[in-house]
Amino acid sequence: MGNGIQAVHPFVMFFYYICVGFFAMYFNHPIFLLAGCLALIAVNFTHDGGQAMKQWAPWMIGMTLLIILINPFINSRGTHIFFYFRGKQVTLEATLYGVVTSMSLLMILLLFISLNIVLNGNKLLFIFSRILPKTAFLVMLSIRFVPLLKRRLTEIQDVQRLKGMTITQGTLRERAKSGMSILQILLSWSLEEAIETADSMKARGYGLGKRKPYIPYRMNKSDKRWLVYLVLLFTVCVVGGFLGYGKIIIYPALGTLHLYLLDWLVFVSSLAIALFPVFVEGREQLKWNYSI
Amino acid sequence: MELFNLNHVSFSFPDANQNVLTDISFSINEGEFVVIGGASGSGKTTLLKLLKRELTPTGNLEGDILYKGKPLNEWEPRQMIEQVGYVFQDPDNQIVMDEVMQEIVFGLENLGYSTFEMRKRVAEMVHFFGVEDLLNAKPSELSGGQKQVLNLLSVLLMKPRVLLLDEPTSQLDPVAAKELVLMLERLNKETGMTIVLVEHRLEELYAMADRVILMENSRLRYNGTSRQVIEELYADQETAFYPYLPAFARLYMEFEKQPIRQSIPLTVKECKQWIGREEREAIGSDVQLKPRMEQMLLEMEDVHFQYKKKEPFVLKSFHLGIPKGQFFSLVGGNGSGKTTALRVSLGSIKPQRGKVRFKGRDMKKSKDTDWLGKIAYLPQNPRTYFVQQTIEEEMKSLGERLGLDDTTKRIERLLEAFGIAHLRSRHPYDCSGGEVQKAALACILLGEPEMLFIDEPTKGMDPISKQQLGELLSGLQKQGLTIFMVTHDIGFAATYAERCAMMFDGEIAADGTPNELFKGNYFYTTAINRATRETQQPEVLTYEEAVATWSVPANIY
Repeated sequence: MGNGIQAVHPFVMFFYYICVGFFAMYFNHPIFLLAGCLALIAVNFTHDGGQAMKQWAPWMIGMTLLIILINPFINSRGTHIFFYFRGKQVTLEATLYGVVTSMSLLMILLLFISLNIVLNGNKLLFIFSRILPKTAFLVMLSIRFVPLLKRRLTEIQDVQRLKGMTITQGTLRERAKSGMSILQILLSWSLEEAIETADSMKARGYGLGKRKPYIPYRMNKSDKRWLVYLVLLFTVCVVGGFLGYGKIIIYPALGTLHLYLLDWLVFVSSLAIALFPVFVEGREQLKWNYSI
Repeated sequence: MELFNLNHVSFSFPDANQNVLTDISFSINEGEFVVIGGASGSGKTTLLKLLKRELTPTGNLEGDILYKGKPLNEWEPRQMIEQVGYVFQDPDNQIVMDEVMQEIVFGLENLGYSTFEMRKRVAEMVHFFGVEDLLNAKPSELSGGQKQVLNLLSVLLMKPRVLLLDEPTSQLDPVAAKELVLMLERLNKETGMTIVLVEHRLEELYAMADRVILMENSRLRYNGTSRQVIEELYADQETAFYPYLPAFARLYMEFEKQPIRQSIPLTVKECKQWIGREEREAIGSDVQLKPRMEQMLLEMEDVHFQYKKKEPFVLKSFHLGIPKGQFFSLVGGNGSGKTTALRVSLGSIKPQRGKVRFKGRDMKKSKDTDWLGKIAYLPQNPRTYFVQQTIEEEMKSLGERLGLDDTTKRIERLLEAFGIAHLRSRHPYDCSGGEVQKAALACILLGEPEMLFIDEPTKGMDPISKQQLGELLSGLQKQGLTIFMVTHDIGFAATYAERCAMMFDGEIAADGTPNELFKGNYFYTTAINRATRETQQPEVLTYEEAVATWSVPANIY
């Protein structure tokens, strides 16, 4: 199970990701989005010291820069004109729009990197098993077959290679032919073996009645408290956003970027949501280091 | 109390004129440990499946099978699922879910138990077996033995009254097999659970079983306590069953002038007591390594291999030379790297460092097609070999591939020599395990290879088939074939191989003749060797050796 953020109930985490994903597309104030990105970077650092993020970093930076650079040149809407490029106007609005779009995309990417670490396969499956139990069960069965088939495939390849059937050498036609034969063996062998899997399911009462899924995660007090925390702040943000706070008008003419008091309230609330995993981890650290 | 009651049960599959089971009557009492033995195809598995209602094969069943005095069909489905547990032969195929915990509770989920009840049962059972560390692993990462423990747990959580097991150890290495069997013994002794076990490897089971049942050709031949069955077998001179008996018991029956039933030895301890202890000075084998001048067919020099960059090396400065015409066997525990060594020598995987030379040529630099027909590989699962619909077609297509001009003649000769001429037009999947193996061997020998690689050939084989295979391999070696076998069947390696090496931690730890290598070991040796060490009789490795060397002549032979 792990501790810190890994120990938080999957539903709470799932709700968190929904909130943050929603914000990325809901707010378009650059300050909001920048804060969101920074918060998610911090969150990723608490997971694994930024290991997974580092792998994606070149892609993310490249994509962000590409959007910021290209958008003003292909989009000429707006009234504040910087200069003309090949007869087309390059505007402040389009530039800002590029920045906003790229940041909201970046935020979603960061979110998925975090989601991949925290809600790994089975937790995600657990969430879906409550919504779509049959599909989730089928997915589970199929996932189980992946390593099995992979191992069998290596075994078959070892044998067939010495018979002269290989997909690594020879002409394309020969390779394709060998590949088909290998897959054919894999298929017939696996089907044969799957009979026993079916027997084993039947022997343990599959299909007898309605399945009652085992619930590996328990919602404890702190999970509930965190959920309330997230729901309350989320409500504040949604209502605030509905009233126009945290949003700017870009087209046709750029509105004000000034933040009013209520804007700040929404800002703080959204940041408090985005930083929720950092708080959980931080609390854990504090408890470890300073409790008696 | 009688749990199962079989009255004149006969069974035949549809469209088959032969019975799989003929007139079988016996009963199983509550709390008994029953072991069912017999050759492959004698009907053991069918018998076991008839006891589990959900697995009853379609066919023609005569006679009655009663569970607690009531026919199986009259019980509630739910009760039968819960009360009769079944563990299958293959550790992998039975696992349904992708997570250990989900797999363990699979049965409970199907029966609709509450999460509270599931948690309680899991906690209790996992603690009883001390396998807490399994819970957080993925099933695909477990070893064969651990997978089988997982399957056992999954069934046990339903709290069955009877546990039926179909050759649960046949796919495991000896150490894991022993662990599983000990687990079953503990379960039987401490919870009084009734256990019915079908098994080939009976040696250590005789000491545990309350009752042994031996089957032959669909009929029940012997049924009684271990010692009673051994005695009756010898009284009837049923030589066909002798290989199923523990080697000590065989020695006793052969060498003792007046065997008494109560003192037939079933364990190493009892056997030592019977022979009589004699302290001998342990002579550490001082093997002179003769520098071999023969030409090496396969050479592996300083081979290093790792599967992934950050993982530890599976092979570390691995050295091996196999001269022409030798029957070499590599033994070692699970995860010692034997299979990896075999795969490297086959050229299936390329080592990070080191050289593999076949006939003096570097494997890395040669193409796969260079070895076509020269290297033969008999895999653990021979079914992976066949592409065509029948065995004969397979051989013909291979002949074409190899560009042989006398394919038909060679096919005839091989089929004859292996005694599988009658199977030529059969689909490989319709043959028994031993038959497919022979067929695959016949196919790979078509190209007249110089070297044969074999991976765990005796897995799941009954003693008779093992003997046949061993003789077949010895015969091939005499004809000049070089053989490289990887196995954990020490008895088999000791009997047939010329030279053995023990692998440990990615290296060859010891290398020598079977005598040099296995005599004096505690675990990595045959049971009979453990029983004869430091006794009044010469130390032996195999039953055959004992018959040949012991001073007392065999009086029943």
